[in-house]
Amino acid sequence: MPDPLLALLIGALLLAAALAVFWPQRGLLARWQTRAHVDDRVRTEDALKHIHKCQMRGRRPTLESVAGALGISTEAAARVLSAMQAAGLVNVASGDYALTPQGRAAALHIIRAHRLWESYLAERTGYHEQEWHQQAERLEHDLQPAEVEALAAQLGRPTHDPHGDPIPDADGRFVYHGGQPLPALALDTPGRIVHIEDEPETVYAQLIAEGLYPGMEVRLTEVSPTRVRFWADGDEHLLAPLLAANISVRPLPEAAAQSGPAGVESAETLATLRPGQQGQVVTLSPRIRGAERRRMMDLGILPGAVIAAELISPSGDPTAYRIRGAMIALRREQAQLINIQRLAETTA
Amino acid sequence: MTVGFAPGLSRGHDQNDPPPGVDAILAEAQRLRWEIGGDFHQALMEAIYTDASNIADRAVTRPGERPRFDLDRSIDRLVTSRVWGFPLMLAMLTAVFWITITGANIPSQLLADLLIGKGVPLLHSIAAALNLPWWLSGLLIDGMYLATAWVVSVMLPPMAIFFPLFTLLEDFGYLPRVAFNLDNLYKKAGAHGKQSLSMMMGFGCNAAGVVATRIIDSPRERLIAIITNNFALCNGRWPTQILIASLFIGGLASAQWAGLISALSVVGIALLGVLLSFLLSFSLSRTVLKGQVSTFSLELPPYRPPRVLQTIYTSIIDRTLIVLWRAVTFALPAGAVIWLISNIHVGGVSLAEYLVNFLNPLGLLLGLNGVILVAYIVAIPANEIVIPTILMLTVLTTGVTGLGAGAGVMFETDNSADLMTLFTAGGWTLLTAVNLMLFSLIHNPCSTTIYTIFKETGSRKWTAVAALTPLAMGFIVTFFVAQIWRLVAGAL
Repeated sequence: MPDPLLALLIGALLLAAALAVFWPQRGLLARWQTRAHVDDRVRTEDALKHIHKCQMRGRRPTLESVAGALGISTEAAARVLSAMQAAGLVNVASGDYALTPQGRAAALHIIRAHRLWESYLAERTGYHEQEWHQQAERLEHDLQPAEVEALAAQLGRPTHDPHGDPIPDADGRFVYHGGQPLPALALDTPGRIVHIEDEPETVYAQLIAEGLYPGMEVRLTEVSPTRVRFWADGDEHLLAPLLAANISVRPLPEAAAQSGPAGVESAETLATLRPGQQGQVVTLSPRIRGAERRRMMDLGILPGAVIAAELISPSGDPTAYRIRGAMIALRREQAQLINIQRLAETTA
Repeated sequence: MTVGFAPGLSRGHDQNDPPPGVDAILAEAQRLRWEIGGDFHQALMEAIYTDASNIADRAVTRPGERPRFDLDRSIDRLVTSRVWGFPLMLAMLTAVFWITITGANIPSQLLADLLIGKGVPLLHSIAAALNLPWWLSGLLIDGMYLATAWVVSVMLPPMAIFFPLFTLLEDFGYLPRVAFNLDNLYKKAGAHGKQSLSMMMGFGCNAAGVVATRIIDSPRERLIAIITNNFALCNGRWPTQILIASLFIGGLASAQWAGLISALSVVGIALLGVLLSFLLSFSLSRTVLKGQVSTFSLELPPYRPPRVLQTIYTSIIDRTLIVLWRAVTFALPAGAVIWLISNIHVGGVSLAEYLVNFLNPLGLLLGLNGVILVAYIVAIPANEIVIPTILMLTVLTTGVTGLGAGAGVMFETDNSADLMTLFTAGGWTLLTAVNLMLFSLIHNPCSTTIYTIFKETGSRKWTAVAALTPLAMGFIVTFFVAQIWRLVAGAL
């Protein structure tokens, strides 16, 4: 029998070592897999994406910006770029980098794979939206053209990814969303969010936390150097201009707008109903996606449907609602994504 | 919203010869596609659903929009009320367990007397009349038949009582309300409220609990329920817990408290299982399972009078007999293996003893012993035969005389003095008992359950996760308990 103290120490060390190696995402194994994954081809493809993005936004890609985007030194970036030049992917003229037609096609393939994979993660899996981008960053390099094509077919050839970015078709054609930054929208005119930038991660996380999505209707009420105040689908939001600039909107004709003048009508959600009260569904938030959205529609939660709250669980959540004659319990987070218009109380 | 195609559009053209306008139309369609944006599939689907529901509203007439049946509403108010919801639930479940445990004792005893007490001698006399060689009758009767008879007599009566009772509650409509009451708790662990139901089913039998997860329609939560079901202390493990607790832990207290103390320790183990299932649900939903699709909805069907006879019939056919059949098919070969390793000798020592000696260092390190580990390996088909196997192997390895019926013949006895003598000879301590209780809760599911998990998930990966995660947890828990126990005991 070994000494218990020694055994305890060795056991604890082994357990700690096993955890350090196998911990998901932060463990050594996960890190090593990520690192082994980044080779010259991956760097080349990331550089192509970066240069393409700069050209789309009318910025100049530089050696430093490529190094920054790839997270490598300028020397390493210079090696990557000269290899790309030798392969005929970029042209270098007086310090400016421009994609050759061949380079542009390669960049669009990567972008197409990335955005399709993000759409797949959003529609067909349960990953949180903050993880879509990171996962797609990895997988975009592994997908073969035939696989990308199969993915597109499986998803019904979507034109836009969940952030509102256009997905190039197989021939590389796409139409830019053509939105303007939110702070540039005229005050108190309706607009629709067409795109939410998913980089940098921290800014995107804040925008998600605000509950902002492409497809929402917005109205600006205040723009100052320190803050941007606006209504989006019945809720008021207050953002720093830096954050608000990552939201692109397109003006909406007043006639097509569903919302009244800003702030007058604040849409309620199903979660605000108490037992005995009822409401009529106005919209389902774009956050309800894929299988969950289909499930809700299967249950009859559709615009125009009348829903009455019936029971609250003794533990406070979920709440049971009467929907088309059936009693269905929904959790608070789900009910908060269903916008309703309150109706007169039922005679309970 | 109407969606239609002009039927005349393609008429008059040969299919091999596209009309001149087609390219222009395709280009226009492509342009419009971009203009409509990404949401149009969604909008179209929503419009179709809305149309369908409007048509249904027009076409289906409901006899005078009656308010919901009042009795239903009153029952719902009561069983989900803040004051009465939880007490009623506890009372109902206690009643179900009490009826199962007390009701199963007598038929279990009868079956054991019949199948083992009378059946084994009878079969042996038949074998003797047929002049079967000793090894064949030993393998067939003492090995395969005995293991199967043991599993049947321990397993069948509680399942035949528990499952119909449970199905009656389900049929009445009460169980969805239990899920409704408990969902908030499960939500915090990243699971579905209905997991409470599959877990309760797991207290009867984990294989049935795994099948019961079919009521969870969200893929992620269903996998969580399947993988964590093993932590519901099943019917086959209760006897182990009760025996060890009353021998070792009850023995610590004075005679009048012994019963209570040992009962509390068994309940404590069962509650530890519930706690572990929450912890494992929590970590699974945040790591390996986070990519699985998750959709929550919980239907609360109207109450209806249970159809008693039909329920009893279907629950016995669907649940009891299927599980029993799977257990029997696994118990037969296990009985053969148990008999063979005890009776095949190499160099004068049986295979079982080789195995026990080989695993003894590891067993002792974990605060168990080699016999217990070997018993858990060969008795993987059913937890019911773990204790009989342990007793038989202990007799075999210690050479205690006067107990049991020979090598490879499992046995059990109610005489606690005999048992204590045997365990003391086997080197058992209080630590061995505590760790056996822990390991009995935290180890791989029985092979019947593993097979059921494979059938339900259709995935080797998730089956492996469900089988190996609890085993690894069991090793870790018993190891640390043993070391800390020894440190503390050494310091005292």
